[in-house]
Amino acid sequence: MIWLTWRQFRTQSLVALGSLAALAGYLVLLALQSRHAYATDIVNCVPAECASARRAFAESFGGQFTVLGGLLVVVPGLIGIFWGAPLIARELEEKTDRLVWNQSVPRTRWLAVKLGLLTVAAAAVAGVFSLLLTWSASRYDLVMGERFGVLNFAARNLVPAGYAAFAFVLGAVAGLLVRRTLPAMAITLAVFAAAQILMPSLVRAHLMPPVSATVTFTEDTMARSDLMGVSDTRAWIDGYTMPGAWSLSSRSQIFNADGSAFTAQQAHQCDGNGPQETMACTARLNLHFGYTYQPADRYWRFQWIELALFGGLTVLLAGVGFWAIRRYSG
Amino acid sequence: MTPVIETAGLTKRYRHTTALADCSVRVPAGRIVGLVGPNGAGKTTLLGLTCGLIAPTAGTISVLGDRPAAGAAQLARVGFVAQDAPAYATLSVADHLRLGARLNPRWDMPLAEGRVRRLGLDPAQKAGRLSGGQRAQLALTVAAAKRAELLILDEPVAALDPLARNAFLRDLGEFAAELGVTVVLSSHLLGDVERVCDHLIVLAAGRVQLAGDVADLLAVHYRLTGDPAGLPAVAEVVHAETTGRDRTAIVRSPEPVPGAERASLEDVGLAYMTRALEGHR
Repeated sequence: MIWLTWRQFRTQSLVALGSLAALAGYLVLLALQSRHAYATDIVNCVPAECASARRAFAESFGGQFTVLGGLLVVVPGLIGIFWGAPLIARELEEKTDRLVWNQSVPRTRWLAVKLGLLTVAAAAVAGVFSLLLTWSASRYDLVMGERFGVLNFAARNLVPAGYAAFAFVLGAVAGLLVRRTLPAMAITLAVFAAAQILMPSLVRAHLMPPVSATVTFTEDTMARSDLMGVSDTRAWIDGYTMPGAWSLSSRSQIFNADGSAFTAQQAHQCDGNGPQETMACTARLNLHFGYTYQPADRYWRFQWIELALFGGLTVLLAGVGFWAIRRYSG
Repeated sequence: MTPVIETAGLTKRYRHTTALADCSVRVPAGRIVGLVGPNGAGKTTLLGLTCGLIAPTAGTISVLGDRPAAGAAQLARVGFVAQDAPAYATLSVADHLRLGARLNPRWDMPLAEGRVRRLGLDPAQKAGRLSGGQRAQLALTVAAAKRAELLILDEPVAALDPLARNAFLRDLGEFAAELGVTVVLSSHLLGDVERVCDHLIVLAAGRVQLAGDVADLLAVHYRLTGDPAGLPAVAEVVHAETTGRDRTAIVRSPEPVPGAERASLEDVGLAYMTRALEGHR
């Protein structure tokens, strides 16, 4: 069975290996370039020019790493569509199930070997790509500091392997249930895309209860925020991000030390004397705001939980596959 | 001796149609069994049930004393060539033999390679580029080299031209005798079956119409042209047909029918099928 699995999968695995090798070459090149730029431009930057050096660094590598991250998010979907969906559906379409299921190998074992070996192959392809990209982009990620970003989280470290395993088994089982390759491909695409959208938008933030904290307004606060707004009755801060953390609140109202709302009237006392002096003055007012987030040190727990989640879904789908192939009748 | 195939009340229903109804047959060992019937008679369904590709809706079936496809051991005892002899288009002839060798404990490689050589198949040829006849031969080779006790062939010659058909059937008869396997083959042509089979099952309208050893069947069937007046009391007219002024009847009778000639297998099969379809309508 192992021989047959390999024989039928030879072309696909060679294509995958070739693509991985080409990607690896590119990623090594990018890694060397970004490391060099990081060491010369950012590590040794003159304090006054550090911010612009980081911006320039982000600009010169951002495009490539974003495209590579996007590719890594797509790869599991491609694996599901082009490896998973035809795996069983093509056998049924070309009626070769009638040939292979009548050799001395029960079809459940046939499925077990196929799913087992190829799921590992799928996870390995996405996993190796992911580890290479994680390594290659490590300096870039250090500068950007957005490990929880939707694209960054899904295209680094462990989770891509989980997505690939899930997508592959999803495709295979869809093929077994609908019995035709093309519809199975469409279903795989739709379900996998839905999972990739629902996961960051609705599920991931709730995998662990978020932390709610009170943040003291300092000069650093403004640097970590997008915008501060004031009106006659209140003031707010937009897009504040704690270092390395995943912000779950995008806008927070600013309060005085006694808990009353900070207003435009109060803000005016710091007007004039240039933006820096204004910030220093505002910081001295002892203001604070509420902030909900997932702390930076939870990153790995999130990676493992999501990997386990997709691993669990994969096993569940495989269970459906075994149930269906046992019941499959003509 | 345990029958190779034994079914009781075997029924397979799909959503809207009954493919096989209340089928009870006993196939003795060592025969070459012809399963004939018009298209849609339920032949493929019965064969699918026999090799375990299809699960019955009702009734029981036992093949070589066990449930079809009950496990690896049972699968090893039954060889199957599906309709149109499906094969992996991108795998070569040699790959198919390797597939057989890897997946079957009793695989007979000398037999397989010998057959491939004798049939003039190029081992490096991709199965997708074989002619229909060559593919049928390849599929039969894979099924035969498995060294099964029962070989099931679903319409093995339907896609072949008359020459290839003849060669295939002759070859089948030879090696069935050589290996001592029981063969069940289906066809909608009685002529094919007549050539190699020594046991006949007639299936029509989802039901078994007639089953038995060919010699026994021929012994009790007569073809009577003209007046049926002199029929013995035990005789039964299976089917009568009038063309012009002639009336021809196929009669089943344990006693000789005066004035009648022996019916051919084709006459008998057709009579039962026609009766079934007319009754069905």
